[in-house]
Amino acid sequence: MADDIVTFEQKTASLPAGTVRYHVAGTGRPVIYLHAAGGVRLSQPLHALARHFTIYVPVFPGFDGTAPLPGIATIGDLAALVAQFADRVIAQKCDLMGHSFGGHVAAWCAVLHPDRIDQLVLQCAAGFRPPGPPPQGDPMSLLFAHPERLRPEDKEALGHAAANREVAQRYRGGIAMDEALLARLGEINALTLILQGTQDRMIGPDSARLLKSRIARSHLIYVYDAGHVIEIDQPQRFLSVVGDFLGRGEGFLVNWGHGVSGVFVARGPE
Amino acid sequence: MRFVYFNLMPWTEGNETTEDWPVANKRYDPVRGTDVYREYLDNMAYAEECGFDFVGCNEHHMSPFGLQANPTIIAGAITQRTKRVGLAVTGCLVPLLNPIRVAEEYAMLDVISGGRLLAGLLRGIPHEYVAYNVPPDESHGRLIEAVELIKKAWTEPEPFGWEGEFYQFRAVSIWPRPRQQPHPPIVMSGQSPSSARIAAEQRAILGQVLIHDVAAAREHIRIYKEHAESLGWQPSSDHIMIGATCCVADTWDEAKRLMSEGRRYFADVLSGGLRTAQRIVLQKTRYYEDGYGSKFRDIRQAVQQPIEKVIDAGLVLCGTPKMVVEQLKRLHREYGHGIMQINMKVGNIPLAAVTRGMTLFKEEILPEVRGL
Repeated sequence: MADDIVTFEQKTASLPAGTVRYHVAGTGRPVIYLHAAGGVRLSQPLHALARHFTIYVPVFPGFDGTAPLPGIATIGDLAALVAQFADRVIAQKCDLMGHSFGGHVAAWCAVLHPDRIDQLVLQCAAGFRPPGPPPQGDPMSLLFAHPERLRPEDKEALGHAAANREVAQRYRGGIAMDEALLARLGEINALTLILQGTQDRMIGPDSARLLKSRIARSHLIYVYDAGHVIEIDQPQRFLSVVGDFLGRGEGFLVNWGHGVSGVFVARGPE
Repeated sequence: MRFVYFNLMPWTEGNETTEDWPVANKRYDPVRGTDVYREYLDNMAYAEECGFDFVGCNEHHMSPFGLQANPTIIAGAITQRTKRVGLAVTGCLVPLLNPIRVAEEYAMLDVISGGRLLAGLLRGIPHEYVAYNVPPDESHGRLIEAVELIKKAWTEPEPFGWEGEFYQFRAVSIWPRPRQQPHPPIVMSGQSPSSARIAAEQRAILGQVLIHDVAAAREHIRIYKEHAESLGWQPSSDHIMIGATCCVADTWDEAKRLMSEGRRYFADVLSGGLRTAQRIVLQKTRYYEDGYGSKFRDIRQAVQQPIEKVIDAGLVLCGTPKMVVEQLKRLHREYGHGIMQINMKVGNIPLAAVTRGMTLFKEEILPEVRGL
């Protein structure tokens, strides 16, 4: 995976709600990536995607040492902030990806601001945990099927993880199953990719099935031998599916064989 | 104890010569073949009348060794000739196949048969990897991933895709889905320590149907049980399937004559051609990473041993009904298994003699061993 030619830049955006830090890299169709509760992790496949798309990674207020913003206190507020970010920084309809906590925000954003969102990617999305005790155990083994695949820079990002998770918990307000969002998932009309690791110990397959059953134009893909952070456990598989989905839209269902050069061809009109 | 009547469906119409694998199919007579399939299917259907709990079939390629390139076709035919007997398909060889097709065919069988399927998800013997051009070194990885995918295809309520190491599917939702819920019981081969551990991980029935050493087979059961317990589940006797060749006749002399000749034919004629391909795979690849391959190479020597010796070793069932009852009891003491697979069509033993053996099994053996 050649990711050496792409470097993420750190910038700030002035939005109606306040100033938001973000990372950006690449050229091409804009894609917003919403980070998980652990904070921003600019993973290897995100770098690879940035060779074909412009990847924007906003930092949710309060994460990674940033200041909270007044009036941004809930998941719904974060979804509104993402819509502001799309308006001000991108100024066109864009694709939206979210991982875990970021997937929860992305799903709300698709419900509340459908005009901003083209395609949606929900990687192990949080917010739909069935009743029962939360998963117990060492965070590393809950998150990763292959912790040995963490690069030094990925491990560095883990340094803020504990503090970040507390911030995420405040936004969530302790809700495991977001009934309000569940009731509105059927409103999502965006073409949606739902990714679930077969070894995810943090969020089980029931969440993914729920999303699949409620979002009409959705595709659920199990990534084999991946835990909660598919990007780390199986970067190539993540890139293959997500790249195809972002590049081809519904055409990602088709095996294009080896005749087509790579996965990132232009998406046709709907 | 429950019993499987297994038939390898060998082609025994030819001459005594053997050829290297793959065996030239000019030796196969498709007109006679139609009758042979009918005779074998009649024979397998008769197992239901004889009180067997399952009829067994499996998968082999490109040899007179066994005429079931696709065992689900055979099992499908059996569904139409039987009413109650289970279908123990101790194929398919999933690393060689499209796992979604395996899931679909097994689901069809389960529905057509009214939920009678025991689904074998097997790795196969080494030369099959040459037949289907699959790298033998990938056999374990493909097996494990394919089993996970097949179980998903059987149980997943929503359409799904799969992005794996060996298999990628973007949209799966099989029709029909299986009748047995959550899915048909699975049997996996456990004839090496690594295979035994995989079977435990998949909560599959541990199948050992080609045993060459009782101590090794017991060790595989021990590994399987220990590994299962470490994973939080407890196998019962119904999770252990043991197989053996079996010849029952009215007299010891007759049984000995039939079995000795059948074993000679199996080793010299049917298996001869397989050995070259087998040897190449075993020598040149990591098919058996745990050194099991050296034991596998001893099959011919085992088959050539005197019949009394292999009976004493607990590897073969042979004799009068009374003798076979004692041999079965001894095997049960060794393994504590709940499923016993019996292969009576050994080599060129005539079908009439096999049928007689099945009748004796029904009348004189089964009543004595059913309660084991």
